[in-house]
Amino acid sequence: MPMVSADYYDGKSARAHSVRLSLSADALLVQGDGIDRREPLHTLHVSEPMGAAPRLIKFADGAHCEVRDHAALAALLEAGGHRDGWVVRLQSRWGWALAAVIIAVAGGAAGYRWGLPAVSEWIAFKLPDKALAQMGQSTLAFLDEGVLSPSSLPAARQHSLSNAFEKLAVPDGMGAGHEIVFRNGRAIGANAFALPDGTIVVTDQLVSLARHDEEIIAVLAHELGHLSRRHSLRMLIQGSIVGFVAAWYLGDVSNVAAGLPTVMLQARYSRDHEREADEYAAAMLKANGISPSRLADMLEKLEQAHASKKSGEDGEQTDVFGGYLASHPATSERIKALERD
Amino acid sequence: MSQNFGTAQAVGFRFSGRGGEYFRIWIVNLALSILTLGIYSAWAKVRRLQYFYRNTSFAGSSFDYHGDPKAILKGRIAAVLLLVLYNVAGNLDPTLGLGAFAVLMLVFPWLVQRSLRFKLHNSSYRGLRFGFDGTVGGAYKAFLMWPTIGYLTLGLLMPVAHQRIKAYQHRNSRYGSEAFRFTAGEGGFFGIYLKLLGMLILLIVALVAVGVGLGWFASLGVQDGDPEQQAALVGMILFAVLGFYIVAFLFLGPWFSARIQNLVWNGTALGPHGCSSNVRARDLFRIYLTNFIGIVLTLGLFKPFADIRLARYRMEHMAVTLQGSLDEFVAAQQQGVSAAGEEAADLFDFDISF
Repeated sequence: MPMVSADYYDGKSARAHSVRLSLSADALLVQGDGIDRREPLHTLHVSEPMGAAPRLIKFADGAHCEVRDHAALAALLEAGGHRDGWVVRLQSRWGWALAAVIIAVAGGAAGYRWGLPAVSEWIAFKLPDKALAQMGQSTLAFLDEGVLSPSSLPAARQHSLSNAFEKLAVPDGMGAGHEIVFRNGRAIGANAFALPDGTIVVTDQLVSLARHDEEIIAVLAHELGHLSRRHSLRMLIQGSIVGFVAAWYLGDVSNVAAGLPTVMLQARYSRDHEREADEYAAAMLKANGISPSRLADMLEKLEQAHASKKSGEDGEQTDVFGGYLASHPATSERIKALERD
Repeated sequence: MSQNFGTAQAVGFRFSGRGGEYFRIWIVNLALSILTLGIYSAWAKVRRLQYFYRNTSFAGSSFDYHGDPKAILKGRIAAVLLLVLYNVAGNLDPTLGLGAFAVLMLVFPWLVQRSLRFKLHNSSYRGLRFGFDGTVGGAYKAFLMWPTIGYLTLGLLMPVAHQRIKAYQHRNSRYGSEAFRFTAGEGGFFGIYLKLLGMLILLIVALVAVGVGLGWFASLGVQDGDPEQQAALVGMILFAVLGFYIVAFLFLGPWFSARIQNLVWNGTALGPHGCSSNVRARDLFRIYLTNFIGIVLTLGLFKPFADIRLARYRMEHMAVTLQGSLDEFVAAQQQGVSAAGEEAADLFDFDISF
């Protein structure tokens, strides 16, 4: 019969009692140093093995035994029919640890690739319009203060462009609520982007870059595509979630590094979003008798404009605002897809 | 094993945790947490804490953690919701975000008080639970009023605020029925803050001097208003700012942390038994730096090893000078403790660590 030495504490004082543990039928005997207890095995709780740490046998009344003789205790537990939980068995083997590394990495990657976009999309379509309006207004106000200045296009020209676009039928029947505003793009040059509340900002530089009004219309259709899928909002939400998780994980290590994944994420997802918005625009243009190649033409011009600017004097990048104004890396691919339509 | 420490005797803490062992626990529980979409993380946390508590021993006996995973899960859900709301509010509108920040600041002391209660009521040593009796009012004074005064006086009274926070935490803690005492006064905190300020000023002066020198060197032979001169200027500023952060985080961070830990624990006693701590800044610096490099190089897999290294260093540089026997501690009125413990368990564990 295995005999195990242990320290017994009654839960009422800090006094340690040197005791011996042994089995007797379906009960544990605790004896020595003035203690004599007999506890049915099913009333006991045995703590998980944790390396060199003592194992604790806890009694229902708050008393417990601290056992450091691991080999002797293992024999006693075995004789008593005790079996460790399955998590404990997983933890005790390097093979399972390796499997856990793979699961953690694969799970993390899957969550990042599919879970994150799905959650962000769900949240994006749950947010109330009032919140979107608030967000759009404060973003435009922020841009107006620093990056953009009032448009120098004549009001009549602005109206005719807006009206031409409003007359078009939209693919999904109703389209997203939107409003077109014109601004001088200054440093960001020829560009157009949609804010979460439905505001589509078009720069004067984009209007003068276009050789045909249908090219501008095509870009507006593309932006409407972003709006109807709530892309900017989803990117914003994704960025927040990634930043939150990264900060939580890195925690005490560094808060600076936490910002990096957000940047990477936005570059990754904008491609998918561009493709979706292109498809939306192509469908909308075709439905209104305009060739989708107008968008392709405009994309080509935009790319040339930005490329020449990039190689120009100060090499300043055009996508300073990441999410909203992200540059489009796979433009030639997109142009090909549009011309196939 | 009944120790009897007749005369005063400094007894150190022992830590028996091992990196490889803890790594397996950490990674298996992390994988389970991912597979259960985060729900298992509460059970994972309890297991991780138990690993650290049970591997920490003092005078031949170990500590134990009794937190209920379900209570922790509830707390985590509440905390995540709170943070998401706060984040969303901040993204929607700066004013709304500011309002949310104010609300968060207002409930923060209450949350801290709750989490301190939870943590201490669920910690034990030799079968006796620790406890925390700090009031909510006291938490508001320590965590809201004093820091606000600190900011309003442009940091002049920040050392007092820091001292008040530590005093609130330590004076209201007890082991069984024996209360902790805290004797570290404001003077010690002022000393550490003054030295920190002095080092920060020295650092800024040194960096500006080097930066100006480099900027001047880089702009040699370049015309005024040239883009190259501007680039040199930008480079100089970048150098100064980056250098400031690196030196401040890598050197002054561990220094400050070590000094505060020593000050606080050398001023803490449990009844007649005085605590002591002799953490050295250069050791902490070495551990922080190597941990950081390890975590970066292994894409995070070194984290459990890093946690073990830091815990071992911190624990093994603490001691308690025992006056007489440990056996004399007794539980507080047993009923009161368990009822309070359950009440705290029903509420939050926000895991706010200091």
